[in-house]
Amino acid sequence: MLWSVALVFLLPTALDAATPIAPQALDDFEAKVRPLLIAKCYECHSLEAGKSKGGLLLDSKAGLQKGGETGPALDAVIPEKSLLLAAIRWEQKELQMPPKERLSREEVHILETWVQQGAPDPREAQPAGHAAKPSRLETAKSHWAFQPRRLVGAPEVQQAAWIRTPVDRFILAALEEKNLTPAPPADPRTLVRRVYLDLIGLPPTPGEVESFINDPSEAAFATLVDKLLASPHYGERWGRHWLDLARYADTSGLHNDLDRPQAWRYRDYVIRSFNEDKPYARFIAEQLAGDEVEGANEESLVATGFCRNGPTNDDNMGNNKEQYRLDELDDVISTTSSVFLGLTVGCARCHDHKYDPVTSADYYSLLAVFNGTEKLGVPGDTKNKAEANTAKRIEVQALVETKSRVRPTFLLRRGNLSTPGAEVQPGAPRFLTPIALEFPTPPANSKSSLRRLTFAQWLGAADNPLTWRVHANRVWQHFMGKGLVLSSSNFGLSGSAPSHPALLDYLANQLVANGGRLKPLHREILLSSTYRQACTHSETDAAVDPENTLLWKMNRRRMEAEVLRDSILSVCGSLNPAMGGPGIKPRIRPELLDASQRNKWPVIDQEGPEHWRRSVYIYSKRQLLMPFLELFDAPTTTESLPSRAQSVVPTQALLLLNDEFVEQQARKIARIVLQETAPGKTASLMQRILSKPPSAIALQQAESFLTTRRMDFLRDGLESSAAAEMAFSDLAHVLLNASEFLYIE
Amino acid sequence: MPSPDHSGLFLNRRQMLQRSGAGFGTLALQALLAAEGLAASGGSQLPNPLSPRPPHFSPRVRSVIFLFMYGGPSHIDLLDPKPELEKWHGKAIPVWKPEDAFMGRKTQNLAMQSYYSFKKHGQSGIDFAEVYPNLAKHADDLCVIRSMHAESNNHGPALLQMNSGFMQPGRPSMGSWVTYGLGSESQNLPAFVVLLDHQGAPVNGALNWSNGFMPAAFQGVPLRSSGEPIAYLSPPKGVSTSQQRARLDLLQQWNTEYARTNPADSELSARIASYELAFRMQMNAGECTDIAKEPAWLQKQYGLENPVTKHFGRNCLLARRLVERGVRFVQVYSGGNDGPKAWDAHDDLKKNHDLHCAETDAPIAALLSDLKARGLWDSTLVVWGGEFGRSPVAENGKGRDHHPKGFSMWLAGGGIKGGIIHGATDEFGYNAVKDRVSVPDLHATILHQLGLNHEQLTYRHFGRDFRLTDVSGEVVRSILA
Repeated sequence: MLWSVALVFLLPTALDAATPIAPQALDDFEAKVRPLLIAKCYECHSLEAGKSKGGLLLDSKAGLQKGGETGPALDAVIPEKSLLLAAIRWEQKELQMPPKERLSREEVHILETWVQQGAPDPREAQPAGHAAKPSRLETAKSHWAFQPRRLVGAPEVQQAAWIRTPVDRFILAALEEKNLTPAPPADPRTLVRRVYLDLIGLPPTPGEVESFINDPSEAAFATLVDKLLASPHYGERWGRHWLDLARYADTSGLHNDLDRPQAWRYRDYVIRSFNEDKPYARFIAEQLAGDEVEGANEESLVATGFCRNGPTNDDNMGNNKEQYRLDELDDVISTTSSVFLGLTVGCARCHDHKYDPVTSADYYSLLAVFNGTEKLGVPGDTKNKAEANTAKRIEVQALVETKSRVRPTFLLRRGNLSTPGAEVQPGAPRFLTPIALEFPTPPANSKSSLRRLTFAQWLGAADNPLTWRVHANRVWQHFMGKGLVLSSSNFGLSGSAPSHPALLDYLANQLVANGGRLKPLHREILLSSTYRQACTHSETDAAVDPENTLLWKMNRRRMEAEVLRDSILSVCGSLNPAMGGPGIKPRIRPELLDASQRNKWPVIDQEGPEHWRRSVYIYSKRQLLMPFLELFDAPTTTESLPSRAQSVVPTQALLLLNDEFVEQQARKIARIVLQETAPGKTASLMQRILSKPPSAIALQQAESFLTTRRMDFLRDGLESSAAAEMAFSDLAHVLLNASEFLYIE
Repeated sequence: MPSPDHSGLFLNRRQMLQRSGAGFGTLALQALLAAEGLAASGGSQLPNPLSPRPPHFSPRVRSVIFLFMYGGPSHIDLLDPKPELEKWHGKAIPVWKPEDAFMGRKTQNLAMQSYYSFKKHGQSGIDFAEVYPNLAKHADDLCVIRSMHAESNNHGPALLQMNSGFMQPGRPSMGSWVTYGLGSESQNLPAFVVLLDHQGAPVNGALNWSNGFMPAAFQGVPLRSSGEPIAYLSPPKGVSTSQQRARLDLLQQWNTEYARTNPADSELSARIASYELAFRMQMNAGECTDIAKEPAWLQKQYGLENPVTKHFGRNCLLARRLVERGVRFVQVYSGGNDGPKAWDAHDDLKKNHDLHCAETDAPIAALLSDLKARGLWDSTLVVWGGEFGRSPVAENGKGRDHHPKGFSMWLAGGGIKGGIIHGATDEFGYNAVKDRVSVPDLHATILHQLGLNHEQLTYRHFGRDFRLTDVSGEVVRSILA
């Protein structure tokens, strides 16, 4: 598509160039003129240098003819009057070229002769102004992420004893190259807490810690990893990562923020898919083409909720229905390309991409892929045509097709409906598909065009250069705190370069080899020495690699919002493990509910077990996000979010200090621990919350705090057992706020 | 170098607390002393990233209020009249370049005259469009810079450049640089506060007030735009302040211990500071944000009674209350989300600017008067502007496209010459041609007014000393009083 557009612009030049140049003139040009132009002019006036000072390009015939801001460089009628000559002769004060060093008399003569002969020029370049496209394409071709994955062998290293899995070789080789030393292994208590929080998002109980401490062998760690991977909580933790990408929410966002009563089915589908370790290609296909995949069923229809999660304006569309339809599909296209391909395609709706070789034509080819779809389960829209066509009334929120024929898709110039251009066919971005992706003609009785399925299969093909790298990188990011490619949804030219390109290819290859299943890849990463490093800081290493890009230690990470809330519930003995179903609405301070004038959040006096479920099940209301989650950097859900911020603001402290939730949980765990008959209640409380027994000093500090607090409460008139309970609850509250609790080492 | 002649401006934090009036000083001071005692008794000096630090030289102002008109207000329709455009209306102008148009071919080279009429105001005779009648009364207070120019014609990068000097994310924003340079003047409010439009955050969201590669303690703190400005400001029922303080003392003791064993992780000390600050905010921020205490006539002046002006007016009034209490850098956004909700007048300039001018005119005028009345004028620098201006040519007939090559901003307050126009664009309002002011120049000037030399204010990262102004920037001295 790109080339046919470019051809239009090439045409005039091609005709011009058809005028033959005398052989002698050609020789003269190549021998004298071209070298001179290259040596003295191209630095500021060529595409290769990326400069066209004064708007002038001298690296093509067309560039000379077009000239710059002061006019054409050549005067076709009176060559002697050509601006080019005036400039090199330094005739005018404001036009002296080259500006710093005047050409020699001989050099001036070469160009004078050439111009006087009519400036015969064989350089068939693109006319200036449109030439940037092929140039960008050229650059893009060599961009690392667009190359096929390499078959990489794990490098040789000196400290072979450190190696546990092949992952370590890549990491250690890079460290050794810079004379960096890996951090010592994390102590078993730290490691066990880390792996629990990373895999299931809940801290281990004291019993779970102790059973690992008693046998911290290689085999025991592997068994622990397998146990956690098999836990249904794994899907709740890792499904949440995916929901960030899928901009999942339970409301429409715009205008009245309509309830989406079926959205949660998609959330549950994601959790189930992670727990089942669904092959990634199938996971992609279900979400983009759940109605077209083999064995399509209600579950796979629910999966297409991926395409329906974006914010919409269902209740306030006015007369611009076609515009809204295209806006919604834009959200689908942008999300799909950034999530699966790590490409920012959305900008190509109005203009060719500024950095990547994505053209407007590519964008509209993607639109053609989705252009036959209709929405099922639109809130407030019971007479939906698509729904009426399906025999059985399905309430799911889905994106489906009901006919094999798709309306024609036109390139919209500037993204504007009123200026349609040429018709485009469905396709994948052309710079990734040297041979155009072929879309089969659907059988006559087909209920869909099969376009989305075809596209999804291309995404999920083993040789797609982006899909597997992008996905493997996301896995790495969630274990290490940052991806090998930092910009994990932008693998394009404006994204960041991989810190360990070979490791990235290795992981992606492993992912493919494992049939697109994540759990084997998790295992390989988690069992590595790299993952098991402590967070120990080293000034020497930091001097060389201050950002810890090469992973000479483990990154300390603050718990994500959901992990923090779930961990509080878990250590306080409150977590209700019920899975799935419609979103829950825990307590939000009534004065903050002003923001939800419509589709209101209920006023809750006190929370109970029905609210104490995992945070992934909290109703995500776009116009009133749960403050606990919002303040700790949960996604705003307006667009796909590849990585969370890790902010430190006093409003987080205010929430943890003042939210009734923390207060209530602290009281609860205080009461539970006090009711335990065993001695060592204080140590037990500390161990439950911090997943390790307290140091002697910390215990002593806690005991003296309890004594003082008890006396204060007695002075305030509380009776003895109440004072003891209140003091204990204060201690629990402190522990739930402690950095040692908030951070994952 | 501390400034002897500005001791009234730069209280140390104890003085600050002691002078802060009845009702809150004592507790907060106890809190502060307790925190210091903890750090000292531990035998290690964990630096408090927000401790006040001396400026490089005598500052002219203590605080900055940056009124950020997000989306790009049209200079040629507000502050930089171009009668020439009437002659060229509907015709191609010679300075136009197709690559300047963000919207591609939607924007064509067809000049569009302003929808508004201009009049000269005040003794200085500065021109204002009719849509800024109240602001125009302050003509003699403002220094209008008509020769601003920036690098990007796209909101995201342009916002980042105006906020952090750099078009890619990852650099600290100006408020972070200022906090890093000077610390916090207020021990009970954040040093760098962001007040968002009621329609939501601008694009880039929190990146616009990010601390970038600096410690997290320097990031901007957004206050809620409706309801209680700071969520969870009051403790739960049944928890007393002294109880909370006791908890906090133990918490800070443990957190300090934890941070000391991991000194390289600045986030851990930032979290300690954030708890202290939270406690002080709790004691005092409620008082600060309780605008109901302001006299009715003043609330009316800020436009709080008018549904059109009440949101921005509230934030302007909050801004005054914040700087009054020592907040260093307040950014007030007009325009949220995108498109028509911001100043991004692609489709219909008049409709867009009618609305946003109406929303901001009275509140800004009230803010300027109020700063004077409160004696804050000389210690506050007010900056008005967007991430770029708008193009002199039409987009879709009635709108204007983004335009960074020449646009207007204005400065007012301490150390700024009022009633002057600095620089000029060409006759079309297209290119800044006279006394051009770049974004780094503006940044250098703002830092200068705060007593900071933009070339000396550096932060070492990745083995390199970074500056807000990177490798350029010159203080625009001719506008300084």
